[in-house]
Amino acid sequence: MKTLALLLVLAGLAHGDDELRLPRVTRAIFDNGLHVVVAEYHELPLVEFQLIVGAGAAQDPPGKEGVSAVTANALRRGAGKLTAEELARAIESLGGRISTTPGTDGTIVTAEFLRDDFTAGLDLLRQVMLDPTFARDEVRRAREEQVAGIVAGLEDASALAEKCYGGFLYGSHPYGRPVEGRRATVSDLGRSDVTAYYDRWYRPNNTILVLVGDVSAPDAVARLRDAFGGWRARPDAIPLRPTPPEPVAARRLLLVDKPDATQAQIRFGNVAIKRSDPDYLPAQVANTILGGGFTSKLIEELRVKRSLTYAAWSMFAARFAGGDFRLGTFSKNPTTSETLELALAVEGDFRNRPPDPKALDKAKAYLRGQFPLRLETPDALAARLAEIEFYGLPVDELATFRRRVAAVTPADVERVARAHMPPPDRVAVVVVGQASQVRAPLEAKFGPIETIAPDACEELSAARR
Amino acid sequence: MPRRLVTLLAALAAFPRLALALELPVAARTLPNGLRVLVHEDHSAPVVSSYVFYHVGSRNEVRGATGISHLFEHMMFNGGKKFGRGVFDELIEGNGGSTNGYTTRDYTAYLNNIPREALPIVLDLESDRMANLAITKENLEQERGIVMEERRLRIDDEVWGVMDEALYLQAFVESAYRWNVIGFMSDIQHITLDQARAYFQTYYAPNNATLVLAGDVDPQDAFRLVERDFGAIPRRRPPLPVDATEPPQDGERRVVVRKNAELPAVMIGYHAPRALDADRAPLDVVERLLSGGESARLHQDLVRRHEVATAVDANNSWGIDPDLFWIYAQARPKRTAAALEERIDAVVEGLQAKRVPDDELAKAKTQLRAEYVEGLKTVSGKANKLGFFETVFGDYRALFGLEDAWRAVTADDVQRVARTYLVPTHRTVVVLEPVPAPGRPAASRAPRPGGVS
Repeated sequence: MKTLALLLVLAGLAHGDDELRLPRVTRAIFDNGLHVVVAEYHELPLVEFQLIVGAGAAQDPPGKEGVSAVTANALRRGAGKLTAEELARAIESLGGRISTTPGTDGTIVTAEFLRDDFTAGLDLLRQVMLDPTFARDEVRRAREEQVAGIVAGLEDASALAEKCYGGFLYGSHPYGRPVEGRRATVSDLGRSDVTAYYDRWYRPNNTILVLVGDVSAPDAVARLRDAFGGWRARPDAIPLRPTPPEPVAARRLLLVDKPDATQAQIRFGNVAIKRSDPDYLPAQVANTILGGGFTSKLIEELRVKRSLTYAAWSMFAARFAGGDFRLGTFSKNPTTSETLELALAVEGDFRNRPPDPKALDKAKAYLRGQFPLRLETPDALAARLAEIEFYGLPVDELATFRRRVAAVTPADVERVARAHMPPPDRVAVVVVGQASQVRAPLEAKFGPIETIAPDACEELSAARR
Repeated sequence: MPRRLVTLLAALAAFPRLALALELPVAARTLPNGLRVLVHEDHSAPVVSSYVFYHVGSRNEVRGATGISHLFEHMMFNGGKKFGRGVFDELIEGNGGSTNGYTTRDYTAYLNNIPREALPIVLDLESDRMANLAITKENLEQERGIVMEERRLRIDDEVWGVMDEALYLQAFVESAYRWNVIGFMSDIQHITLDQARAYFQTYYAPNNATLVLAGDVDPQDAFRLVERDFGAIPRRRPPLPVDATEPPQDGERRVVVRKNAELPAVMIGYHAPRALDADRAPLDVVERLLSGGESARLHQDLVRRHEVATAVDANNSWGIDPDLFWIYAQARPKRTAAALEERIDAVVEGLQAKRVPDDELAKAKTQLRAEYVEGLKTVSGKANKLGFFETVFGDYRALFGLEDAWRAVTADDVQRVARTYLVPTHRTVVVLEPVPAPGRPAASRAPRPGGVS
């Protein structure tokens, strides 16, 4: 899901224990401000790149929402002397890949090539980053495909629930925007909007470049300097981050009508911590007890004991300047209201009492045990390293992860749960389902509920809350 | 049946070390009770992945009890004799592992990704549920409700799921591939405890299973542990073979699905040979020629040149029995399913009419190899692949023969299989006709295509 681009860092449980062999990491800042991170990885003859340009949908100008995503999607459609089709063929003939993922705070560009194609692959990546053509017809295609994608996304109840929840909770705060923009704003975007966005934000002093691969670090740094050293910085390329979002002060409900749905998607939550908050790690531990894995409180109460759902989870969607805690599940129409009520109760109960010591031990063992698996591939390692750089986390984030998890106490969990998981009477709730079936039971329990059509969700972030 | 994502995986072809990467060292043994055991040693991280493949899937089911394989997969997590209810997940996660299962038409797989120290516990748990699963009313009723929710999620409320189910129901008449792995809702509702017990007795036997371990494990240690935990489980009478002879299709079949949706879509399924057939490899190449990324033919034609589609995909299914080669396309706003069909036909006819150029053929083969190497980046991926080939192809070493089979495919082969299999008389076409929500105009309204039945 493109809109979750930067949420991939949620899984960003860092890593490391004494027994884990973490590769040595070389860091450099080039004269033009580019932050470079290189790690040697010799298990596979590959080079993996991950770049984060530090601007995303949060930097879309008013009325131009979606321009960061169109820019990212048009980036690979022709560069240097190569047309879109020639570039695609050049990448694919090397057996390589360059892809872009627009996000809220940043835009991710990843690339993978064989080690033996390092030079050629790096040159293609350099052209894509420094010299994209943005031909008028290619910008049109990117724009039209994005509009089509927005329409297609309305069919997916789960994706729709996430999108509506974002708009409903954050309102006009930039974090409430759909990364892909709104149909009306995207349709009006022209080439000059895209080039203006690119010129402003795609700059070395606003970019992190991570390389993990079968290379020697000093040699790789030298080659990266050759490729990207000439990229021109711009003093105003570093964005002002949004001010922290405001939490909702009462329980508010929104019903999104899907007329033939047999099951309703449920999301609720409230504003919580940013990624660099020192509470992020204990919050992960607390969240694992409540809504991670197959033995969480939510799974126990909603799935195992009552068969109300197939899945139930919770998470901290922690971003650069703020974030939210959110909970998700779904149930058939007749039990939608009961499921929401129970999920609220389970969450409220969890934050109100000390954690069960056994459940805490299990959550810590789970996070520690799964940690090596989250760093198993070179691309996964590159993503973790980029995350550290982007959010300004301690450089030993990975190496100390398991130790820090082990040190989390019951008192820590109790404190962060109460501080960062919302009381159930102060949450934004979104239900995506068949209004004629689920509305009356929900209103009987929760009072009058605003009902909108799926395509109206994108307006939630446009209006003032 | 997970939906395949249209991703372009890095191609790692033509590189000697990667050719070797497909050739995993495996220690194999069969216990006296028939349990097949495969061990692949990889010490790059202190983790082990374990998979148990039971050689039973929805192809083994009968009408009235469709979905029992998948329902059973759920029941397998609810305790045996030594370990009671709720203990399985608790012990795995409490020891730092994660656990899951999945069911296909051909098999049912159970996986655990764990720190190496937890291997003895995992084997103890796996052997307990193989020997002594608690098949109780409580267990069955709990999972029945959960699986019904899963069906609503994946099929009933999911446009793609509805189309996929309709395609297989129309394309197959006798083959048990015709129903979806998750089963019909009414069957899920009515499966009995006796049926579940009989199913367990018939299929969950050591001689009907393959255990795969990959990761930080010594094969000799592993065999000792497996022998200790599984050795005493008695062999059972082998299940009766499935006779899934599908009568030849002699005319196009069409289905219209009307559902609340935003965009028209079309799914076309052609009868294809089983995984072990010699024509499977050339059809794999055809799949990549059609949908191997942005330079592939369907994307070039439907997305770029004619701008009729938002998404395209093609898939050559690898089954124990003959399965389908399918093509899927979703329309752009204001475009019709008929326009998609017209372009798909033109692309397929192009493959039949003209030999594919050498560089394009090479690119498709490169992508196939790349996808395979990508699947072997993790220990879990490796264990899964070994188990899959042992179960569906009858021998894990078939994995290592893939490259040679693809390399041998010629432009003539491509043309021949396109002409043999991708023909209108052997196909079923599913057309999605979006129904607008009451009071809302449809984002695009497809005219009813002619000739539908």
